[in-house]
Amino acid sequence: MNSKRRIEGLAQRVLFFLASVFVLSVLVFYVSRLAPGDPLVSYYGDRAEKMSPEEREWAEDKLGLNAPIHVQYICWLQNAFRGDFGISYKYKMDVKELVGGRIGNTLLLGGIGFVLIFVLALALGVCCAWHEERLADRMICRIGTITSCIPEFWLSLAGILIFAVTLRWLPSSGAYSIGKENDLGDRVRHLILPLSVIVISHLWYYAYMVRNKLLEEVRAEYVLLARMKGLNKRQVLFGHCLRNVMPAYFSLMALAVPHVLGGTYIVETVFSYPGIGTLTYESARYQDYNLLMLLSLFTGIIVIFCNVSAQMVSERIDPRLRMDDQRRYEEVDRL
Amino acid sequence: MSELLEVRNLSVSFDTPAGEIQAVRDVSLTVKTGEVLAIVGETGCGKSVLCKSILRLLPDIASIKTGRILLNGADITDYRERDMCRLRGRVFAMVFQNPMTVLNPSLSVGAQIAEAVKIHSPGMTRLAVEQRTLELLRLVKIDHPEERCKQYPAHLSGGMRQRCVLAIALAAEPELLFADEPTTALDVTIQAQILELFREVQAKLHMAAIFVTHDLSVAAMAADRVAVMYAGKIVEIGTTEEIFRNPRHPYTWGLMRALPALAGGRRRLYAIPGMPPTLIDPPKGDAFACRNEYALAIDYEEQPPMFPVTETHFAATWLLDERAKGLEIPVPDFGCSDAEEERGELAAEPDILLDVQHLTHVFPLSKKETLTAVDDVSFQIRKGEIFGLIGESGSGKSTVARCIMNVYRPTGGSIIWQGINVCNPKAFHTHKKLLQSARQIIFQDADDSLNPRKKVCDIIMEPMKLQHVRPPRGTMRAEAAFWLQRVGMDAAYLDQYPSALSGGQRQRIAIARALSMEPTFLVADEPVAALDVSMQAQVVNLFKQLQEELGFSFLFIAHDLAMVRFLCNRVGVMHQGRLVETASAEELFRHPKHPYTRRLIESMPIPDFSWGVSERRQDR
Repeated sequence: MNSKRRIEGLAQRVLFFLASVFVLSVLVFYVSRLAPGDPLVSYYGDRAEKMSPEEREWAEDKLGLNAPIHVQYICWLQNAFRGDFGISYKYKMDVKELVGGRIGNTLLLGGIGFVLIFVLALALGVCCAWHEERLADRMICRIGTITSCIPEFWLSLAGILIFAVTLRWLPSSGAYSIGKENDLGDRVRHLILPLSVIVISHLWYYAYMVRNKLLEEVRAEYVLLARMKGLNKRQVLFGHCLRNVMPAYFSLMALAVPHVLGGTYIVETVFSYPGIGTLTYESARYQDYNLLMLLSLFTGIIVIFCNVSAQMVSERIDPRLRMDDQRRYEEVDRL
Repeated sequence: MSELLEVRNLSVSFDTPAGEIQAVRDVSLTVKTGEVLAIVGETGCGKSVLCKSILRLLPDIASIKTGRILLNGADITDYRERDMCRLRGRVFAMVFQNPMTVLNPSLSVGAQIAEAVKIHSPGMTRLAVEQRTLELLRLVKIDHPEERCKQYPAHLSGGMRQRCVLAIALAAEPELLFADEPTTALDVTIQAQILELFREVQAKLHMAAIFVTHDLSVAAMAADRVAVMYAGKIVEIGTTEEIFRNPRHPYTWGLMRALPALAGGRRRLYAIPGMPPTLIDPPKGDAFACRNEYALAIDYEEQPPMFPVTETHFAATWLLDERAKGLEIPVPDFGCSDAEEERGELAAEPDILLDVQHLTHVFPLSKKETLTAVDDVSFQIRKGEIFGLIGESGSGKSTVARCIMNVYRPTGGSIIWQGINVCNPKAFHTHKKLLQSARQIIFQDADDSLNPRKKVCDIIMEPMKLQHVRPPRGTMRAEAAFWLQRVGMDAAYLDQYPSALSGGQRQRIAIARALSMEPTFLVADEPVAALDVSMQAQVVNLFKQLQEELGFSFLFIAHDLAMVRFLCNRVGVMHQGRLVETASAEELFRHPKHPYTRRLIESMPIPDFSWGVSERRQDR
């Protein structure tokens, strides 16, 4: 019974996931085609403006842009199922190859950044809650409020100015120095600045959330009972309060993925870091439909996947959230 | 018996922005090994603060100003948190008021009990901990402990959870158990069971206990000695027998007379006038003086010391002073007089106002399961009648009320109100205005039912505005002021927010709001359950008085049997969604027919002060 239910739940999730991805692809496909701009410009450059109507017709026919949008979409979908996402208009190469070459860099930057934010925010939040309203807590909160007001691109520029230009400690752009592609130390040195910017600009918000959630829990009545058992402050905070905060934190962090990813895209642009951030920006700007589709699908899948998995993790930790029980509790509460 | 805990002249204050609140003032008491001391008093009198200050569980803004706390003769007043951790659980344990919120919702109850076991015997093997957990669950009489162990608090009922909390408290076999209103949040029958269990366990483990309650009848059943607290001070302390047979303090008299079980045919419940003082600036003399009918001039000037009545019985009232000896003090009688009801028997069967026929309401739990909350309930309410509906929580009383008020749409049956079938959406729409103004509801918790961001006058005026009522007294504000005065509050409260008021006052505002529409039918869903005994008496008196003056019909939902008996003409008993018995109030209590009604009446904690105490003590 139990395992059957679990499989049912899992199947439901997967269905939901696929449906979301489908809806997303339809939306991006239609909206990108409704946006003003000429995709031929990105393919032919300035030549596109001098084309005769016949030539335009022929070019659009060649790129498959003449058919009604839904036919184009079905065509795209069929090709996509075969693994063919088309070519980039701007770069004139297979979008898979194009993205494949750069995705590793973005995942490295965003992934490490995200893990750092996750761990540090938790640590800072717990630290603040532990020293509630004392100097450490107040300082962290103040610094956090100030830093989270600074935009990422400004922080990046300031970072480049101070550490790359003035102090010359760190490189200012790129993922590696020319000719040192396989030098790990060099790669790490290139990561430090963009990574710090991403972490610093996102960290405080989440640390603050952890702190407030924890302090809410600390005031809950079950803490009194836990203290009456003879547990000390540490045992209460980690064994009871933090445990109850974690589900909320997981879902929060899952929702943070798009933010961090978006931040990564901006930081990549400022640091000329060869990731997919720059690509996404360009593809949207130059009506590079195929590239845009692949990139938004990829981003969307990551975001949806994170949300769904966060929900599953939360449920494992917090029994109240389990889907099959949820409605029952609501009903019983209403009585 | 040696003295386990001794509290000497303890004073505890809270530093708040409004000023220093002196929550506990100069309290001294002792608890001997194996003894149960009950601390009785209204909300805010400092009884919980007293316990928590002994256990050092108060927030940082609270501090012990003066006094010492001695445990087995050792001074623990200055113990630090680390030392207190070692005492908590092993020496002191505590059971809390609300079992719904004190258990961590995301840990299984087994894990929570095991945690309490492990913390005091770190070397224990996992198997031994498991064994001990099951043993504890058996001790508190939870059936199928092996399965219950793995369940989460949300799966358990209130009574079960309270048993689990007790199991946690008993994990390390403490010497002194603090019970802070352990039965208040529970149903009557569950309350009796928990009280029983508590006494049994206490006797078995030979453990001392401090039992905090606002319910005198609970204190009478559970305690060896009773301390009555008022405004942060102990005003009377003595053995249970002494307190209940020979109370000496006027406040104790007031508390006892306010019990509806002792109303014994009186037309009004006795209510202590006024409200407890705020403790930011406690009055100079006796804090109780202004509510005390027997106050002497000196009460307003000087605080009375503790006068000994017997070796074990002390009371702080000037009435016991040498100089007051000559005064004639009209000691009130507490006995249940058998004076025949002069309840306003309704004149020859008035018209039926509300006719509920075969009402059924089913909640869908999931696709397959359903919960039948109300199952084929039929009753009638006549014009000008007070109909009581009693039963445990979950018996469907509130669902009935909500169906009648069109909050839920019933699954089956019909509700005819003055010839209108209110379940029929069409009929409801045609008569919407009439139905919405002539029927009003009052909820249990005025805390939640009054919008905290609205002023009192806006709250009272809102229904009038919605229904476009032309105010008979000129302006709506005048109307609001009128109804506020009608429920016994000053018009000066019009511009205050609900948060500035006490529970009793908030409930009065809820009543004023409902009555301002001049309803012919009023539903009150446990309107006094969240209030103190003395406030309950005030509010119930108000209901009775207003009903007599305005003549509305009244559906009164409660779980307090004595209250229903006092207030209602006819009573319906609900059990698991069914209406098992309907009868006139006196008939029901004198000759209950259904076994469940009998069980309910038996589990009523009746403080039969004349003999019950001594008899119980003999069988211990």
